[in-house]
Amino acid sequence: MSNLLATGSSALIAFQRALSTVSHNVANINTPGYSRQRTEFAARDGTSYGYGYQGAGVQIVDIHRMADSLATARLLDSTGELTRLQQMSVMSNRLDSMFSEKATGIAAPWSSFFDSVSALSSSAAGAADRQSMLAQANALVTRFNQMDQQLDKLDGEVNSGITSTVSEVNRLTKEIAALNGRIGSNVANASGDLLDRRDQLISQLVGYTGGTAVQQDGGQMNVFTAGGQPLVVGATASSLVTVADPYRPERLQVALETNGQRVTLDKRALGGQIGGLMEFRSTVLDPAMAELGRVAMSLTETFNAQHRAGMDQYGQMGADFFTAPQPQISKHAGNTGNAVLQPSLGDLSKLDGKNVQLRFDGTNWLASDPNTGTSIPVTGTGTAADPLVVNGVELVLTSGTPATNDRFLLQPTAGAAGAIKVAISDPSRIAAATPVKGNTALGNTGTGKLGTVSVTNAGNANLLNPATIAFTGPNQYTIDGTGPFTYTPGQTITYNGWSVTLDGAPAAGDSFSVGPTGANSSDNGNAKLLSNLDDARALNGGTLTLNGAISGLTTTIGSAARQSDYAAEAQQAIQDQAQATRDSISGVNLDEEAADLMRLQQAYQAASQIIATADTLFQSLLGATRR
Amino acid sequence: MSNRISTSMMYQQSITTMLAKQAKLAHTQQQLASGQKLITAKDDPVAAGNAVGLDRTLAELERFAANATNVQNRLGLQENALTQVGDAMARVHELTLQANNAALGDDSRKAISSELQAIYEGLLDLANSTDGTGRYLFGGTADGSAPFAVTGGGVIYSGDQTQRQVEVAPDTFVSDTLPGSEIFLRMRTGDGRIDGAAATGNTGTGLLMEFSVTDSTTYNGASYRIAFTGPNTYDIYDGGPTPIASGTYTKGQSIAVGGIQLRLEGQPNAGDEFNVGPASTRDIFGTLQNLIGALGTNPTTDAQRASMQNQLQSALRDVSSAQGKMIDARASGGAQLMALDNAAELRDANNVTLKGTLSNLRDLDWAEAIGRFNLENTALQAAQSVFMQMQQLSLFKMM
Repeated sequence: MSNLLATGSSALIAFQRALSTVSHNVANINTPGYSRQRTEFAARDGTSYGYGYQGAGVQIVDIHRMADSLATARLLDSTGELTRLQQMSVMSNRLDSMFSEKATGIAAPWSSFFDSVSALSSSAAGAADRQSMLAQANALVTRFNQMDQQLDKLDGEVNSGITSTVSEVNRLTKEIAALNGRIGSNVANASGDLLDRRDQLISQLVGYTGGTAVQQDGGQMNVFTAGGQPLVVGATASSLVTVADPYRPERLQVALETNGQRVTLDKRALGGQIGGLMEFRSTVLDPAMAELGRVAMSLTETFNAQHRAGMDQYGQMGADFFTAPQPQISKHAGNTGNAVLQPSLGDLSKLDGKNVQLRFDGTNWLASDPNTGTSIPVTGTGTAADPLVVNGVELVLTSGTPATNDRFLLQPTAGAAGAIKVAISDPSRIAAATPVKGNTALGNTGTGKLGTVSVTNAGNANLLNPATIAFTGPNQYTIDGTGPFTYTPGQTITYNGWSVTLDGAPAAGDSFSVGPTGANSSDNGNAKLLSNLDDARALNGGTLTLNGAISGLTTTIGSAARQSDYAAEAQQAIQDQAQATRDSISGVNLDEEAADLMRLQQAYQAASQIIATADTLFQSLLGATRR
Repeated sequence: MSNRISTSMMYQQSITTMLAKQAKLAHTQQQLASGQKLITAKDDPVAAGNAVGLDRTLAELERFAANATNVQNRLGLQENALTQVGDAMARVHELTLQANNAALGDDSRKAISSELQAIYEGLLDLANSTDGTGRYLFGGTADGSAPFAVTGGGVIYSGDQTQRQVEVAPDTFVSDTLPGSEIFLRMRTGDGRIDGAAATGNTGTGLLMEFSVTDSTTYNGASYRIAFTGPNTYDIYDGGPTPIASGTYTKGQSIAVGGIQLRLEGQPNAGDEFNVGPASTRDIFGTLQNLIGALGTNPTTDAQRASMQNQLQSALRDVSSAQGKMIDARASGGAQLMALDNAAELRDANNVTLKGTLSNLRDLDWAEAIGRFNLENTALQAAQSVFMQMQQLSLFKMM
């Protein structure tokens, strides 16, 4: 009888416990990272009665945490990659919107500026057209400046993103290390909820840094970055710190601090949000800044050169129209030499805007790409007469001497878009006119016809000196008394930095003169050339126009945004699958729990019946003996 | 995949699906609101880059159209001025013919002379026309001040000889107004090739009638002087001290020398001379002044009358050649105006093509987009209704 009662009550207790596990599962349906638990029953060992073993009821052997370490690891991997790509995508999309939107992009003011120059070429002396060109030029440089500021702001956001993420990472690594300590080396003894909590924290950590988690001796979890640096080992947490970039102190990098040693982690060593931020900075933001700067610098260079070859309303040769931004160079914080390098723009067609790392190896300067390490050819020695030339930039060692292994970072065009300004404020100083003009003597009896005079070398000191082409015979002429030269109809005469074609049949005694255009001229020769500079193939070895560079900028940034979007979408699909796999093992299903609830309820009711039956049996025994 | 799925996964999946559909719907809605296929460059980076380039080209075309309007305005003003100059020259021609009538009295000549003076002043005003923006039409590029001014010796031109070229279509340039020097100055005298005149001190009544180059290969550009040694005999000099030929003069008969033929009328005296040689240049104002000067001589003797007639003949030739020059100038302006029309056609054609391409790259296909919008809308509603039904399915409800 007591046997029956003991068996019944063991079942009641077991089912009660199992029901509480079910209710625990139901209660945690919305807990992130929760793994469902299952009660494992086993028959109690029976007692031998000689004829065999009599069963003694049921007992609970385990409350099992349904988890698969493989599924969890896969999910973890995918989480780090997903957050990295999502971060890239978010930042790239912002850049894309900025460059695509008419109100913030460069294309609209660029086009308006060149239109205003074209307008000037149709009315070169018009005060309104001159004023309009200055206004459009100011609008264009303002837009360049604004875009550069916006890019700087994004750079600042990357910095603050890194700072806040690093402090979050340090909190998480400490918590994980503490949990490792509490869980100890035997997972079997640890509570499932504690393990869930640890997995959840690791997943958050990996979301920030990327990396992997490896279980050590079946107990503690060690977490490593994608590059293999330890973040948590056992109960010890490493801490991340932000350090200044050795070339650019305003820029933050991430370093790992273990035992007082700091190891700088580059973008390849980090995944997750930090990795995404750093990769965005080096593969999208920096090239965008450099390319925008390259456009600004090419505009300055080509426009100024042409403007200097023209004549303004005061009869003076044109000055620089834009103030020219210079390439930037910064030395490594660890340099021991005191060399100072002065960069300047050399050959525009070779300028590619990419950053260059320069290193002094004791005798020579070596250049390489700071991102890939690929070497870049350098020529020259660094003296003023023979400057170092790398990617179209010339560098002169102005003072000091470099020590072996001193390093410099050359940013040929980054920041140029922020430095460009309009140098002229007086509309009359716009050099719209060709500085020299031709004149056919009114008394000429021949049919000689002077073409349009064009400037071939604006730097010629004698350019503005009046010159006379006098014909001493139908086929002979002198220039300013020198000569005689033989005349062929249609020939080009080049002198004092100008050139002109002369056609027809001049008679002896005919003369032609070339002299300065003078003040207040409505000549539009130079404005015409200025207005076509946007279509001049000035870049990439003379294959790319400035207009092409503007289109290319839009395409490059659009592609970067599209690519990161696609990658993030693809990773999201992988993440969804990994999550589904993990959930199919560990997730709570309410229907399943409801069924379990019913099953256990019924079992509990049946066990109650056993108690009731035992009672009936006992009562009937009592009834039998009362008589 | 196993058959087991968790409840939160079911919810998550539905929500993810709905969110994705909502994002798509929002994108389509944005497309419909803006009428553009490309919201940002990432929608189609290559097309967006091309569109930026095409936008620039289109803007340039628009600018060229405005440039063309500027030039057209000035060329139109030039055309108006030249028409008036042409009319004036026709009147001058008419008046010179009238004045050439030997029977004309002094008073009539005076009237003609004063009308010519008025025309002269009118021409000067026309030559100093402005383009409406304060610049002078016929000053070349030195058009900041009036290009023509009267000084003691005649009219002085202070403009220059530069003719602006303006871009009115890609790589298509049209010449702006002609500099004044090419309209009012640099007129060839005589028949444009050679010119002849009676010497001022002639005492006879010989008139130089016609002259022309009859043999271009023989004529070497030399000047010839026909000096009468008697009433019917003459020597011909070519610049040297000794005559190269001599002949007998018959009234009305042609004299030929060195590829040139000329005809004299009247009766020259011994010592009278007639010159013929390469044409020189003279400005239109000089021609008019000579004419006015000739009319003011009030001839009394036959010799004086012959001298005036000779001068009038010469002026008539110059006026004709000036008229020819005006026609040339107008034709040149007309050619530029036609080039402007051609450029406009080119621009229009390019405009249509570019806009078509841009539209393909960037503009929304409305029918497709509205269809897509409806489809996405329906899909979202379906997802929502599936979610509503799914979340009703719970065993707990049956208990």
